[in-house]
Amino acid sequence: MSDRPRSPAFYALAAFFALFVVFLYGPTLTILVLSFQGPQGGLTFPMNGVSTHWFGKLWAGLGIVDIWGALWRSLRLGLVVMLLTVVIAFFAGLAFRKRFRGERALFTIAVASLIVPSIVVSLGIGLEFRLLDEAVKWAAAETGWGWLQEHGTLMGLYTSALGAHLTWTLPFGLLIMFAVFNRFDPAYEEAARDLGATGAQTLRHVVVPILGPSLVGVALFGFTLSFDELARTSQAIGGRNTLPLELQGLTTTVTTPEIYALGTLTTGMSLAVIGLALGTSLYLQRRKAKAGLRLG
Amino acid sequence: MTTTIKLSRRTLLQGAGATGLALGAGPITGFPNVIAAEPVTLRYLGTAVNQSGDIARKVKEDLGITIEYIPVVTDEVTKRVVTQPNSFDLLDTEFFSLKKLIPSGNIQGMDARRIKQADNITPVFTKGEVGGKKIGDQGTAPKKVFYLEGQNAKTFAGMATEWITLIPTTYNADTLGIRPDLIKRPISSWKELLNPEFKGKASILNIPSIGIMDAAMVIEATGDYTYPDKGNMTKAEIDRTIKLLIEAKRAGQFRAFWQDFNESVNLMASGETVIQSMWSPAVTKVRSQGVACTYQPLKEGYRAWATGFGLPKTLTGRKLDAAYDFINWFLSGWAGAYLNRQGYYSAVLETAKAHMEPYEWAYWMEGKPAEKDIKGPDGSVLEKAGATRDGGSFETRMGSVACWNAVMDENTYMVRKWNEFIAA
Amino acid sequence: MTDIALPAAVTEAAPAKAPAASLTTKIRRHRALAYLQVAPMALVFLVFFVVPLALTLIVSFWEYNEYEIIPAFTVQNYVDVFEGCLNTSDACTTVRTYLSTLKFCALTWACTLVIGFTVAYFVAFHVRSRTLQMALFLVCTIPFWTSNVIRMISWIPLLGRNGLVNDTLMRMGLIKSPIEGLLYSDFSVVLAFVHLNTVFMIVPIFNSMARIDRSLIEAAYDSGATGWQTLWNVVVPLAKPGIAIGSIFVVTLVMGDFVTVGVMGGQQIASVGKVIQVQMSALQLPAAAANAVVLLGAVMLMIVAMTRLIDLRKEL
Repeated sequence: MSDRPRSPAFYALAAFFALFVVFLYGPTLTILVLSFQGPQGGLTFPMNGVSTHWFGKLWAGLGIVDIWGALWRSLRLGLVVMLLTVVIAFFAGLAFRKRFRGERALFTIAVASLIVPSIVVSLGIGLEFRLLDEAVKWAAAETGWGWLQEHGTLMGLYTSALGAHLTWTLPFGLLIMFAVFNRFDPAYEEAARDLGATGAQTLRHVVVPILGPSLVGVALFGFTLSFDELARTSQAIGGRNTLPLELQGLTTTVTTPEIYALGTLTTGMSLAVIGLALGTSLYLQRRKAKAGLRLG
Repeated sequence: MTTTIKLSRRTLLQGAGATGLALGAGPITGFPNVIAAEPVTLRYLGTAVNQSGDIARKVKEDLGITIEYIPVVTDEVTKRVVTQPNSFDLLDTEFFSLKKLIPSGNIQGMDARRIKQADNITPVFTKGEVGGKKIGDQGTAPKKVFYLEGQNAKTFAGMATEWITLIPTTYNADTLGIRPDLIKRPISSWKELLNPEFKGKASILNIPSIGIMDAAMVIEATGDYTYPDKGNMTKAEIDRTIKLLIEAKRAGQFRAFWQDFNESVNLMASGETVIQSMWSPAVTKVRSQGVACTYQPLKEGYRAWATGFGLPKTLTGRKLDAAYDFINWFLSGWAGAYLNRQGYYSAVLETAKAHMEPYEWAYWMEGKPAEKDIKGPDGSVLEKAGATRDGGSFETRMGSVACWNAVMDENTYMVRKWNEFIAA
Repeated sequence: MTDIALPAAVTEAAPAKAPAASLTTKIRRHRALAYLQVAPMALVFLVFFVVPLALTLIVSFWEYNEYEIIPAFTVQNYVDVFEGCLNTSDACTTVRTYLSTLKFCALTWACTLVIGFTVAYFVAFHVRSRTLQMALFLVCTIPFWTSNVIRMISWIPLLGRNGLVNDTLMRMGLIKSPIEGLLYSDFSVVLAFVHLNTVFMIVPIFNSMARIDRSLIEAAYDSGATGWQTLWNVVVPLAKPGIAIGSIFVVTLVMGDFVTVGVMGGQQIASVGKVIQVQMSALQLPAAAANAVVLLGAVMLMIVAMTRLIDLRKEL
């Protein structure tokens, strides 16, 4: 195929692709440009001068909205989700290579968790915690124990919201692990075991290094999916909002280009994370290749 | 101002003090310093409209209390009070939601004796009158839900008690906002909202309980039907009202629905809509962007609303003291003046007056032409000298209130019908 | 779900009676390890997925008032959902809402499928260098990692009555007055959906295409098939699993959406998710739960049809 001359179809398709990219990036670029509005500028074109005024305003805080707090919460939650996703999905992936009872059921549930509409999952988790709170309140009234009386809600960033995020990131993680293990040659493990390595050693020194780049991929999925999660968090968040929820509120409450500055900033941040993940992945791959060379 | 005020020695002293402060323009002192010694943070749950960075900064300066805002939309405030009563220390919500909040048992009555200005809160709240004149009380008028029978009572008291549900922060009378430059003719009735002339350029509030009342104002204006109580409709009345809304929607009357202050500003300023129900400060904000916008008084009167501070039942100890200190500070004038300058009304008028320039007071509260340029709290010019406020003075406006934002007995049915309207 | 965790304990507790059967012991230990390894995931799904869904189902049969839910059995919530649906003259709210949501679903699905397939096809078969392939693939997927809300609102300055598109068209003299339907309309909703969700089509379809043996295509060409014939008879059938996976994603995302329809539809277009959200915010949890159960049923029906076609695990 590669030696065929370029057909007209190629150019048509290339044009289509280019249009698609414009469609994909155009609006984002628009707000990128608009975020550099002059101090007198509004939410729409024309540009009223060029400045970093709105970034400055943003830095000073969006008036009432604790945007940096929200950002910080989202970052922390994203990191926790990322770690848990990598670890849980990795081990589950290992388990699925062996056979165990209920594996079909678990797999079905994992896929279901991915495709059940987010609002339903969110509602369910919200309900669950609501009922738990009621139960605690009831227990407090029944027992009169002091430490129960102060109880407000079990809902929170690291309880209900974390759970909601995991129902979203884990299926992705698991599916990636399947894809990875499908292509993973068990010969490496067998070789390690034949050389007398224990299971843990094999895992630590053979499986993890080989799968390293893929695990970075799972981590990337885990973090960014969590960082941008909105629908599942919406009904399952405790007192303090995550960044996307705060942003959703802001879309209707901010009347200045600050919102665009914020958009530019979060997009930049997402890009930085992707860059970092890709970089790490490449680095790991190169190191692996080098190590392979040395061994060879 | 001719509002009747029960004068007490305490009031007089405070009035004098406040005036003195205004003259001296010095920082407010005399608040408990205990608070300043150990920093207290109050988590302030409310809608974004009432949460201002300036107030938080000022109270930090004066009392050393840190205010941590949790801005959410109106419905969400109610939801959090009912489901997560520990997630905040201070509540700022609308009076109409009290019908949901109080039965949940998560709000404690506020001790009137600890509120220094309790006696001076405008009679709009305590008696439902302004300038000695009764005002419309259809819907959840604040006077109906202002007092509790006891601190932890789940029922409202019919008369004044020492347990207050919410201490008013801001209130106002809503009407239609219009773009006179695009409409080019006088508007004088609520029925214009659904006039086909403005097809695709009208908007209403997407908070079911409030939106339906705007629709009710329209129906009454057309003379089709007069509600015994617009704020508490029967199922048949809800059906009738929603039917009208659905017809209008199918005919393409609405451009969009708005849910939040700034959303309404954006719709109006960008020209997406030319007529919509609106809040007074939103109109001010549109105007400050250099866009012509009128807060149009209408012959049928206004739909009023009020918000206030409440305390979660679980609040105790130093945080409770700090909450009372903050509320007392809020009523002591600076915040009231700040709110008045945005076009809202404040709970205790005298203290706010002491913190405003006479020409400001004359413009905002007495409906007189501005002697000088009127500036907003941020220093930007809102109105040029000579302008008068739409709707006139405080008394004229609040005196023309027809109904109050409400939660109906048939709320569940109404929400379902509202969804039907959205789906139409 | 519990039957997954349970056998683990059983296996561990079982005493290894026969020392001769060391192999079985080994296998058994192997198995026990598997249960241990999968336990965290099982637990997460149990606590945050299975139980919540079960509760949703249960609560959908409960009564409620303004501020609390009352554990007393009722079918009223479902009666309310389908109120007026037996009336044939005018569609009831639920049917109307589902029709609206299904319309968005179909439109978005069609658009994302065509765009996603074309883009994936171009990258997989017409880009020759492997590096360039990866680079272009990344270009398509990167926006997926950035905030959906931001990507959504970035359309507003473009599409408004006085937005960039209308302004440009007017300046070019193509239109006299602004096109109203650009924003707060079905158009803007579908546009945003396509913008946000095409990536879910591209990735699985590209994945399927990348695994098609190139010699098959060569064979098709060599036996005289035209480009179209090859595309239709070789590429499309082999890319079917990717198409199915992508379709499932797009369908579920659109069916459950409440943010996009709200923001892009000016809050006045109905969607099932929006109804649930309104009821949630009005604290009518059992009513919301009943709607959620109905939605879940509808989505599952749609998906069962699609999953019948593929074995997901084999396709990865």
